[in-house]
Amino acid sequence: MTDWGGIKARAAAGDAKGAFAGLAALARHEDDFVTQRKYARLLDKLPKDGLELRPLKLALLASSTTDHFAEILRLWLALEGFDADIFQPSFGQTAQSVLDPASDLYAFAPDMVWFFGNWRDVRIEVAPGAGRAEVDAAIEAAVAEAAGLWHALQRHAPALIVHNNADIPAMDVFGHLEANVPWSRRSLLRRYNLALADALPPGVSLFDLEHVSSCWGKDRWTDSRYWYHSKHAFAFDAAGTLAFQFARLAGAAKGLAKKCLVLDLDNTLWGGVIGDDGMDGIKLGNGAAGEAFADFQDYARELKERGVILAVCSKNEDANAREPFEHHPAMRLRLDDIAVFRANWNNKADNIREIAETLNIGLDSVVFVDDNPAERSLVRDFLPMVTVPELPEDPALYAAALHRERLFETLSFSSEDRVRNDYYRANASRSELRHAYADLGEFQRSLTMVAAVGAIDSFHLPRAAQLINKSNQFHLTTTRYGDAAIKAMLEDPAWQGRHFSLKDRFGDNGLIAVVLLHRQGGDALVDTWVMSCRVLGRGMEEFIANDLVQTARAMGCRHLIGRYIPSKKNKLVAGLYPRLGFTLVEDRDGETVWRLDLDDAPPLTTFIARG
Amino acid sequence: MTHRDDVRDRLQTVFRETFDDDSIELADEMTAEDLDDWDSVSHISLVLAVEREFGVTLNAAEIGSLENVGAMIAMLRAKK
Repeated sequence: MTDWGGIKARAAAGDAKGAFAGLAALARHEDDFVTQRKYARLLDKLPKDGLELRPLKLALLASSTTDHFAEILRLWLALEGFDADIFQPSFGQTAQSVLDPASDLYAFAPDMVWFFGNWRDVRIEVAPGAGRAEVDAAIEAAVAEAAGLWHALQRHAPALIVHNNADIPAMDVFGHLEANVPWSRRSLLRRYNLALADALPPGVSLFDLEHVSSCWGKDRWTDSRYWYHSKHAFAFDAAGTLAFQFARLAGAAKGLAKKCLVLDLDNTLWGGVIGDDGMDGIKLGNGAAGEAFADFQDYARELKERGVILAVCSKNEDANAREPFEHHPAMRLRLDDIAVFRANWNNKADNIREIAETLNIGLDSVVFVDDNPAERSLVRDFLPMVTVPELPEDPALYAAALHRERLFETLSFSSEDRVRNDYYRANASRSELRHAYADLGEFQRSLTMVAAVGAIDSFHLPRAAQLINKSNQFHLTTTRYGDAAIKAMLEDPAWQGRHFSLKDRFGDNGLIAVVLLHRQGGDALVDTWVMSCRVLGRGMEEFIANDLVQTARAMGCRHLIGRYIPSKKNKLVAGLYPRLGFTLVEDRDGETVWRLDLDDAPPLTTFIARG
Repeated sequence: MTHRDDVRDRLQTVFRETFDDDSIELADEMTAEDLDDWDSVSHISLVLAVEREFGVTLNAAEIGSLENVGAMIAMLRAKK
């Protein structure tokens, strides 16, 4: 039951978990401010211990009043999985708090800093009719002002920085001419937004306030009454949308974005039932519905091309289900686009669980799209950690309904993302090959694996940071570091960063593991070790351990120290260090420390060549 | 008289929801001094809730000038 009365009753009865689940089901980011505030205040009163939220220290540095917004932001960050502590400097103190190393901001030690500016903060005015050189100089100066704040902040705190671009106001004085000339306010701010994106250093991401305000509607984006009364820079009713979108971005930064889109087939990817209507009967490509289905497929394919894994889960005969993918001329998705294809008559919750197992990803990174409300409800009941968006009946609205959830935010894009689906498809082939070999060593040898290894340089930094922040299962110490933090560490000679890639006869797995070593006296501490689960069971752990031994020796160390910090998701690696020959030196409530004596560390056997 | 009481009842509900306190009983002379949680920040939340409940839009000057409950009720009656 998810009505407000029921949620309040659960909260009053001490059922924090039940009340929180109710809020998650009831709250919509489109809800008005008064409603959002009601939810936020209820959440504030819930004890957070049982909710499994991870702490997040966020500094909200605004030039406008954000007290009301901060309440709503805490709500949406909680629904994203964070227990947020939000720091706001005194009004008008943004620049001072950034520039003064002794400020409250740095004492707060934020994980994330959000420069919440608005267009009024961009000091960029030229006289009507100004020439190109004057316009360029004005834009450059405005961007330099923002960049100055980033650099100052990065000098004093290793936080991820999020910076608003300018929400270009609806008002103008020259009408449409403003779009025609470079010196108008509208054109200046448009150019400023582009120049700002060009100037981003690693560790700084834009929050596209211009886009959010456009989607919301420029005419109602500002409520000037509250600007004049109390310096509120946007309409109160937009608070939910804004907070929700930031929470998704923060989630992506901390590894909570979704990885896999599981698609139903009949009436989801085409109209009609392939088993009954046949190839000629399904609606796809032609007619209003047929075009809408084709466009939805295009949207899924575009998601795949940016790194989302696609899978199929359908109640069908396998051969029937595959036929359109192989032969229908209007299909936009082909079998190559699908990493795991499950068409059978088993229940969908079981199939989705198997898909996640095959791909070696957590169920909480799976999104399931099905036109059938009964299937959606079954999956929600049996697999509450899977995200199941509501889908309208009209296929013309499918893509928008999926997009509304903003499930696939990311702070970066690498060439790895483009071909991720291929990795996972190749993995499915490898796992079939494994069944054919009785002995694991024989299987590993048959893969003819070659690993490339090196120190993390600026070229490998973005992907290395991405892997650290996305890995949950094979992650020994649960650390999260942004680009800037890693860069700062690696400038210190006490730190060594190693990256590992792996190729085999089925293809290139790309950069699949990262280790950060920290020298402390005669010890090399494995501060961070993450690895992609798609290369598990290949002997890569042993290969990496061998490399760490060599690296630690080269750092002049006598011991390699490994730590395991248990989390909800990393049980997989609880026994890694003993398996690699380390001995236990400490066990504090499951948090363990392991040591390997470098004078007595013979190389471990692997079937991976060094490339 | 009934009209005024209807406004008062609805306003009382708004106060109770905004300040999360079901024991609030409105009186005309009540001001921010009388409610611990009624500060400049929650004042705006209160005005927004009043705007929504009564379907009215206050101007920028009015937002700040509603210093007591009696003034609010009078303003809401005038707007109707």
